[in-house]
Amino acid sequence: MRADTEQDILKTELWWTALVTAVVTAIMLAIIYAGLVHHINPPSNIETVDPKTLHLTGEFTEGNLGTRVDGSQITSRIVATQFAFQPQCIVMPANRTVTLRFATPDVIHGILVTGTNVNTMIIPGYVSQVHTVFTKTGDLLMPCHEFCGLGHSQMWATVRVVPEDEFKPGPDGRVTCDAR
Amino acid sequence: MTHARRLTLAHLWVAFAAFAIAAVLGVWQMWARSPLPAPYLTAQAYFTSVTAHGVSMAYVLTTFMVMGFGYYVAETTLGRPLPYPRLAWLGFALGILGTLMAAATIFAGNATVLFTFYPPLTASPFFYIGLVLVVVGSWIWCGLMIVAMLDFKRVNPGTPVPLAMFATVANAVMWLWTTVGVAAELLFQVIPAAFGWNEAIDVGLSRTLFSWTLHAIVYFWLIPAYIAFYTMAPQAAGGRLYSDTMGRLTFILFLIYSLPVGMHHLFMDPQQSSAFKFLQMSFTALVAAPTLLTVFTISASMEIAGRLRGGKGYFGWIAALPWDRPMVLATGMAFFMLWFGGGGGLINMSFGMNAMVHNTSWVTAHFHLIFGGTVVIMYFAIAYAIWPTLTGRQPASLRHQRLQLWLWFIGMMVMTLPWHYLGLQGQWRRVATFNYADPVIAGWGPWVIVSFAGGIILLASALLFVWNLLEFHRDRAVVAPEHPPIYALAVHPPNRVPAALNGFALWNVLVLVLMIAAYGYPIAQFFIIDAPEAIVHRVTGGG
Amino acid sequence: MKPAELREIDRPWRIWASIIIVSILAFSVVFGFLILPIVQGRAAGLDAFTAICRAVGILPGSPAVRQPTSEAKAQPTTQVAWSTDLIRSLGQSTPAGAEVAQACVACHGERGIAADPQNPNLAGQSGVAIYKQLHDYKSGSRVHEVMNGIAQGLDGRQIIDVAAHFAASPRRDLDPTTAEVVDEDIVRLVERGDPARGLPACNSCHGFNAGGPMETPTLSHQNREYLARQLHAFRSDGRRNDIYTRMRSVAAKLTDREIDKLANFYATTLSY
Repeated sequence: MRADTEQDILKTELWWTALVTAVVTAIMLAIIYAGLVHHINPPSNIETVDPKTLHLTGEFTEGNLGTRVDGSQITSRIVATQFAFQPQCIVMPANRTVTLRFATPDVIHGILVTGTNVNTMIIPGYVSQVHTVFTKTGDLLMPCHEFCGLGHSQMWATVRVVPEDEFKPGPDGRVTCDAR
Repeated sequence: MTHARRLTLAHLWVAFAAFAIAAVLGVWQMWARSPLPAPYLTAQAYFTSVTAHGVSMAYVLTTFMVMGFGYYVAETTLGRPLPYPRLAWLGFALGILGTLMAAATIFAGNATVLFTFYPPLTASPFFYIGLVLVVVGSWIWCGLMIVAMLDFKRVNPGTPVPLAMFATVANAVMWLWTTVGVAAELLFQVIPAAFGWNEAIDVGLSRTLFSWTLHAIVYFWLIPAYIAFYTMAPQAAGGRLYSDTMGRLTFILFLIYSLPVGMHHLFMDPQQSSAFKFLQMSFTALVAAPTLLTVFTISASMEIAGRLRGGKGYFGWIAALPWDRPMVLATGMAFFMLWFGGGGGLINMSFGMNAMVHNTSWVTAHFHLIFGGTVVIMYFAIAYAIWPTLTGRQPASLRHQRLQLWLWFIGMMVMTLPWHYLGLQGQWRRVATFNYADPVIAGWGPWVIVSFAGGIILLASALLFVWNLLEFHRDRAVVAPEHPPIYALAVHPPNRVPAALNGFALWNVLVLVLMIAAYGYPIAQFFIIDAPEAIVHRVTGGG
Repeated sequence: MKPAELREIDRPWRIWASIIIVSILAFSVVFGFLILPIVQGRAAGLDAFTAICRAVGILPGSPAVRQPTSEAKAQPTTQVAWSTDLIRSLGQSTPAGAEVAQACVACHGERGIAADPQNPNLAGQSGVAIYKQLHDYKSGSRVHEVMNGIAQGLDGRQIIDVAAHFAASPRRDLDPTTAEVVDEDIVRLVERGDPARGLPACNSCHGFNAGGPMETPTLSHQNREYLARQLHAFRSDGRRNDIYTRMRSVAAKLTDREIDKLANFYATTLSY
């Protein structure tokens, strides 16, 4: 490497800076491509809900939780509370677009579903929402992945992904793990 | 010994004492999470330990290290006595007082909220006040560093501020910006709730304010390592710094790009919009720039050293480097870990891929590798380089120092590579125990044990490090040269630099513009939408 | 160097630094605020304005997907609505509370310590917990032949006052000689939980400094028979006024032996 004059150094450095810029640009282009073509977005959803009265809201009232089919929409509503999910098992069909909606009445939680890209924080005050397609069938783990208190380690639920033809909603449009 | 050196010695000993305690706790935590039965394990004990580990490593080790090293750099590079040494001691005393307060509340079991707080969980107010005192102590340090630089400029008009000092002041300026977020969160939200003056907290706002701090704080920890890369490593290798300008630019880029990017910690949060996440992600991508520039400049500087020592060919200069010197060895290892850790970081910053790894062991692995690996190994190297000038003594052989660095490097790789893998498998964070009866989790067991073995190696290295430091104070150590050259000259030492590369006025204005663009509406929205608050959950007993 | 010269070499830095920063900002605004949401919104059948508002966070939802609708009307298991004012007043004991408490003496003892171990002690219990149970008795969410009537005779203010009163009363002294040797597995359940069954430690909610759900009652100093009966009731779904099945889901995983031992543990052990 030449370093005889300041000009030499400047020239090498400009080349390197150009390379760095190219790398950063390439990464950004990849992200923009994913956003434009695959519609990849972070799970932003500034939809407020009061944690103090969450259990009275209707949508996130205990009896309304779990998976429900409503026309073409398949939505599962799940509450994360210290230190369990309600319900503790949800059913989802494979290869269909589904929406998961989460809320918490108490503190910060978060979820991921192992082996998938489903991942969101659950913040008191907001409904968290993830749209996804499950491609593999079977029981997947859905742990709480954010510290929520001393019982955090024992807080997890199961996502039961079933083949499309076995996904049969009841007369009220609901599908539960018990019914299967 | 001068005031500055006594200050340095005091700060560094506090830093490394906290480090040693935290290392012990860290290994026990890995034991608890492994399939092997760990002693003393309860949920309360585990999260108490995690809180203490995080606070010691992230707040005490780092803040005291940065402050102590800053005082050293100010005195040795400017060639002037440190201004207002009494104030510096006041900052030290506040830091100690705050650390003891926080430690007392943690070990009393009244602060199991981890070092990142998680409101509406709320600890004893004395936990937060203790941390605030540490920060206030560090603000005194920031003031002193800025005053020292301004004094130097006044006395030496037109002379460039030496690079090491320029970088230290960049860190001080950045830290003042950085702490605004967490200070606002603690003073206006969390501490009033902890005292019982408020019964509820706007969690979305508190997370946003904390994210303001959360990325730049990492650069606050990291800059001493980069100062060592630019100024100490080329000297130790027997070469010169390839470019002084590139060094200045790097530290300026850290100042600018470390701040409007904190929202990448909130990619998976509902309460921030995808547009502002995108904006902050763009700047996050640019944070790669100063690191890549550093990799280039330091490699070039090392190449100069290697060739001066007779290295030939494309790679011969690498073999010709004096790897027996701890600073050179540590720099090599730090760069190696930086490649892995930095690569992982690029994955975290892309919000699509982040969904795969957010809050998994991947992230734990990432910051242990970057901070615990790259940065802390440079803390060791800095300590080994400056300790002889503090005590006037050094051990006759550097064998134990090299052994300690190797153990740290190997331990860090053995610990974090399995973590990366487990993170990709979906192993989640911040749990005391796993259900190894579950067939999926059972498969993780062996890898968790491997990483635990890495942790044991790290603990051995940490204890050897403290022992090595004590060696400098022993009578059997030999007399060290009084003024060894510490800082490298540039290949073409600067004789005049533009004001933009010799101060921070311009950059502060640009940071302000960026912060308003990146955080203005995301913070204001909580007041516009009248976000619902969450009832406080106190972890201090009695409600 | 003269000041004019210094300014001369500094100027390009100022100009270029500002240009670069502003262009990056402009780039991310154009893509993040405009192009991405418009393109994504078009695919989801959203107009450009809605898509941009969603991306910026003015409207809820993703710019790439339609929002699901809900017209749910499920019956809640409890009617309690929390608020900061409520929590605050439950921390303030007033003379009015002592007066209301006179109605409780027959079953819960003169100072909130029940003579019959079938009834719970109230002295030293969390005010929020007492409030919630009285509220649930009043609304019928929790069923008890005596308590429903009594609670329906109280107004909202009286419930707050009596809850705050008992919370401030000194709790029952434990006789250390009655403490039994506790089984190791019960202590484990209390302090560590059981990962294999997904059981969190009892302490993670009921511990002295747990920070669990706010209506969590204190269990130590409680009566053994009362505790055991409630755990059985939660397990058999006979009692279902716990919010989001927090206690039902735990009790369902406990064995008879564990229920008896846990009730005994909390009734006789000092340290929790």
